[in-house]
Amino acid sequence: MLIPRRVKFRKQHHPGRTGQATGGTTVSFGEWGIQALTPAYVTNRQIESARIAMTRHIKRGGKVWINIYPDRPITKKPAETRMGSGKGSPEWWVSNVKPGRVLFELSGVSEEVAREALRLAIHKLPLKARIVRREGGE
Amino acid sequence: MAENTPKKSEQALEASIRTEFGKGSARRARRADLIPAVIYGHGAEALHINLPERATTRAVRGSNALLTISINGEEHLALAKEIQRDPLLQIIEHIDLLTVKRGEKVTVDVPVVLHGEAAPGAAVNQEHTTVSLEAEATHIPASVEFSIEGRKVGEHVHASDLLLPKGSTLLTDPETMLVNISEPTVQDLGEENESAEGETAEGSAAASAGDA
Repeated sequence: MLIPRRVKFRKQHHPGRTGQATGGTTVSFGEWGIQALTPAYVTNRQIESARIAMTRHIKRGGKVWINIYPDRPITKKPAETRMGSGKGSPEWWVSNVKPGRVLFELSGVSEEVAREALRLAIHKLPLKARIVRREGGE
Repeated sequence: MAENTPKKSEQALEASIRTEFGKGSARRARRADLIPAVIYGHGAEALHINLPERATTRAVRGSNALLTISINGEEHLALAKEIQRDPLLQIIEHIDLLTVKRGEKVTVDVPVVLHGEAAPGAAVNQEHTTVSLEAEATHIPASVEFSIEGRKVGEHVHASDLLLPKGSTLLTDPETMLVNISEPTVQDLGEENESAEGETAEGSAAASAGDA
């Protein structure tokens, strides 16, 4: 599971949810990719789950890239706690994904296998997404 | 072993000069089915133009499109240098066009297309998807093809192995590895005790945050 090794500050403000991705919007490493169409906080568990879904489907031969990293801590107050008394404790690590961002990339498999693997991975993510192909590809 | 796809033909487009600038006018142009563009090169003053959306989108499909732009009866031969696209809508927002002359040598990135099947049980990793070439502006290959049919594990394809079309010179380092045929890597399928792993990770999340 992806977790930052060391952070400067334990608790951060909530990452902004507005706007579109300004970088990482094209398939750069592989042949196929998953592009986000809505904003979302993608947790490290969801990233891992999507990666496993993909690698289980492609079995051997393919290569998977993860283009996002869960570097933002999200805090939560315990249940049945009165308001106040400071910010809650860090609970999850998320990646702040904005529309247009390519989350995963895949190569080395046939189109049919790639589409099915990416479809399975999309189902593990908390956002709407589409499958994109590298520009200049066949 | 290697072949090359034929060069793309020139596409003719009618353009009009742009007199107003900024995002407001650019958006007005896009609403009117036009694409703002700029044409520059050879020390001449940059010309700001509007191109027809549908014809331009068709013309610049693929890489290194060569266009003949007609502006007020004057013809400019230009190469699509940079195309800005909206990541979500995939519409073209702006194009940078570089003026070229017939017979002039230009530096372009040409896609490398692999075909054929490597030996059974081998994984094909394409490290670079383009190569940099110097070619005549009117004879830019659409792609450089290379056959990996029957290639075995441990073999590599370097930039120097590509057979380039006549008149093209390789600018990429000839030793650059383009394709690596290797054993398929064993992926971590996360099968061993997923729930336990999750709990540990949660604990370590708090711990790592606490390190600060």
